[in-house]
Amino acid sequence: CVRLLNATHQIGCQSSLSGDVGVLHLLESEENLDWVLRTGPNPPYMVILESTLFTRPILMKLKNGSSRVAGVLAVQPTSNPPEGFSPHTSCPNENTGVYSETYGPSYAHCNVTMWNPLGTGISYEEFDFPIFSVKDDNDTEVIRRCYMEHNRAVNGSTPQYPLCAMQLMSHMAAVTDTATCMRRNAPTFSLAPDGVCDPLGDANIWASTKPLNSSTKGHKDGVSVVIAATKLDSRSFFFDVAPGADSAATGLVALLAAASALHNATAELNRTILYTFFNGETFDYIGSSRMVYDMAKNDFTVDLDNIHSILEVGQVALGPDSRLWLHSDPVSKRNSSVNVETLVSNLQAAAAGLNLSLGEPNVTQPLPPSSFQRFLLERPIPGVVIENHQTSFTNKYYQSMFDNAEYLKLNYPPNLTPEEQLELVTDSAKVAPPWIGFFLNKMLYTFLVRVNNSWFDQLVKSDWTGVLSELMLYEINTSERKVKTTEPALMVQCILANLTGSIANITEGNCQDKKMDKDENMNKDIYSYLWVQGPVRPNSTERDSFCVRSLVRQSKALSPAFELSEYTSKNYSTWAESRWSAIKGRIFLVASHDLEMLTLGVGVGVLLMSLLLTYIVSSKADILFSSGREPTNATY
Amino acid sequence: MNLERLPNEEKLTLCRKYYLGGFAFLPFLWLVNVVWFFREAFIKPAYTEQLQIKTYVQRSAVGLLLWVAVLTTWITIFQHFRAQWGEVGDSLSFTIPRGTP
Repeated sequence: CVRLLNATHQIGCQSSLSGDVGVLHLLESEENLDWVLRTGPNPPYMVILESTLFTRPILMKLKNGSSRVAGVLAVQPTSNPPEGFSPHTSCPNENTGVYSETYGPSYAHCNVTMWNPLGTGISYEEFDFPIFSVKDDNDTEVIRRCYMEHNRAVNGSTPQYPLCAMQLMSHMAAVTDTATCMRRNAPTFSLAPDGVCDPLGDANIWASTKPLNSSTKGHKDGVSVVIAATKLDSRSFFFDVAPGADSAATGLVALLAAASALHNATAELNRTILYTFFNGETFDYIGSSRMVYDMAKNDFTVDLDNIHSILEVGQVALGPDSRLWLHSDPVSKRNSSVNVETLVSNLQAAAAGLNLSLGEPNVTQPLPPSSFQRFLLERPIPGVVIENHQTSFTNKYYQSMFDNAEYLKLNYPPNLTPEEQLELVTDSAKVAPPWIGFFLNKMLYTFLVRVNNSWFDQLVKSDWTGVLSELMLYEINTSERKVKTTEPALMVQCILANLTGSIANITEGNCQDKKMDKDENMNKDIYSYLWVQGPVRPNSTERDSFCVRSLVRQSKALSPAFELSEYTSKNYSTWAESRWSAIKGRIFLVASHDLEMLTLGVGVGVLLMSLLLTYIVSSKADILFSSGREPTNATY
Repeated sequence: MNLERLPNEEKLTLCRKYYLGGFAFLPFLWLVNVVWFFREAFIKPAYTEQLQIKTYVQRSAVGLLLWVAVLTTWITIFQHFRAQWGEVGDSLSFTIPRGTP
């Protein structure tokens, strides 16, 4: 796990500069913790936690006894724990949502509904030892065997040296809070400042159904926009394992499918739909707060007065009862100008013909954590959030590494090749009509199993193929003075451009440099152009690349707190991630401390002896080495 | 440089140069003065310039002790409180340790 900082705290783990070394100990049960924390004779210990023991009480006890704990190694289970596991807080984003002392105070801080009841909050605790996670494979077997052979206490006897030890190195450079680390990023005296942290930031992806001139910012007369929003990031306790299947991928794939389905019908719409994919929502709504800030400052293509309503797609993995719920904000509904009933009835009418029931929750409760809340902070806009839970989340693995394809029951039989797996229409995708299901299963496969597949390869921009790696990461990435876009956002951009755009007859050079001929020139500000790899020609490795003209754009998703340099802001997200140099671990055998001291003592003794000997020899040199002079006289 | 080979007047001018130089915020010159001329000032049998050399060495020693006291106090305070001073502490530092407050 890595260190993250916000306006007031630091969370995550830290190791010492050259790594922490500890004697391995496989924790057998919670009572066994006593050995680590009190009775064990060889502290500090490196604790190996099996997945059933990776719980909040055990981690808190280890945190309190951290002078005897050198680190923790958590073993990932081969399948998801059935009772659920959520390291996130039980009330996500409670301080940056719309509910506060001034707006719906009875709804603030999850007073009415605890959204994530399984949440233990360990992702937001601070540990001063490193915590690493390993898969349960051959290397982990080696570690376990090393423990069994050398470190196991048999029948109450203490294990003898040499003991198996492990060193984990994950030194984090940043400390205290975001203001301190941003200040230290640019110190006054240093010649070549080496940054210590980066603000969390990425890119939002948005697209409109009708062309909007993006060079003119601010209010656009006569434009009425319906925002269709979803989020595309998630996180987990560990740094780079965050599949986010139910929490992010379902909503994302659903909105992409909807965009594709509506693509041919956009001429009949009298309002413009703005599809927005927000990034960074897990960390206090980075993407949506930035977009709302830009709109309020007239720095975005439309502004808040252009928005007619907002429809947000949240976690929509269907449970066994195929019910979806429409959540709305009780406080703004009291205002007669905010008309949510029409929205709800429209949605219910649309769902009437399908095998799906859409209902409103029968309790008066606030909105679940959603990007819509940030829009409500500025204006009372009618809106609805579609979720698969009526009150608390049904997702047992919210923001954890177990929120993956297995949880969504995307079961790919292991004997299929990747190509066959791609084509397999899983049960999850069968609910949709076949002309959408065709895309749905491919999109689910791409986002949750493997990026490197033939369908996605055709859609991806030519010079990005090296950037997108095998494993899908769903985490907001850090910026190095400039926000760079990472994989989820790039993928969404490519897919959306291909599904909603059209092929333009432009050469590669013009497409990439945006040099248009006369006919296209007027479209430069409205459309965006992407040079796409295209399908492989049969019987060759060449590809038919082409230029796609679409209305898909990126917008910066960096919290306004960093734009305004208000690093202690309470209104905006101030999350930053520390930088680190090396993350590694190794196991080896260590000798006892007494043996080390003995070796040192012997070494020092040898040094002193040799000095003494040299001194004696040099002072008596004339006696010891004088015998060479005699023979010269004897030759006479 | 071997002081044995110098005539006494030159020893005196050297001692005086080191003594005066130390006032330019250079306490190490005073340290050198004290160590180097200690034998000359206090142990050697008396000669004309020795009284002057003795006063210079004594004053250098006093100045040196003062500097040591001031520097020790400041360094202790800074090392202890730099983390708590936040921005002030960072602006006074040239190299800020990474990973610890």
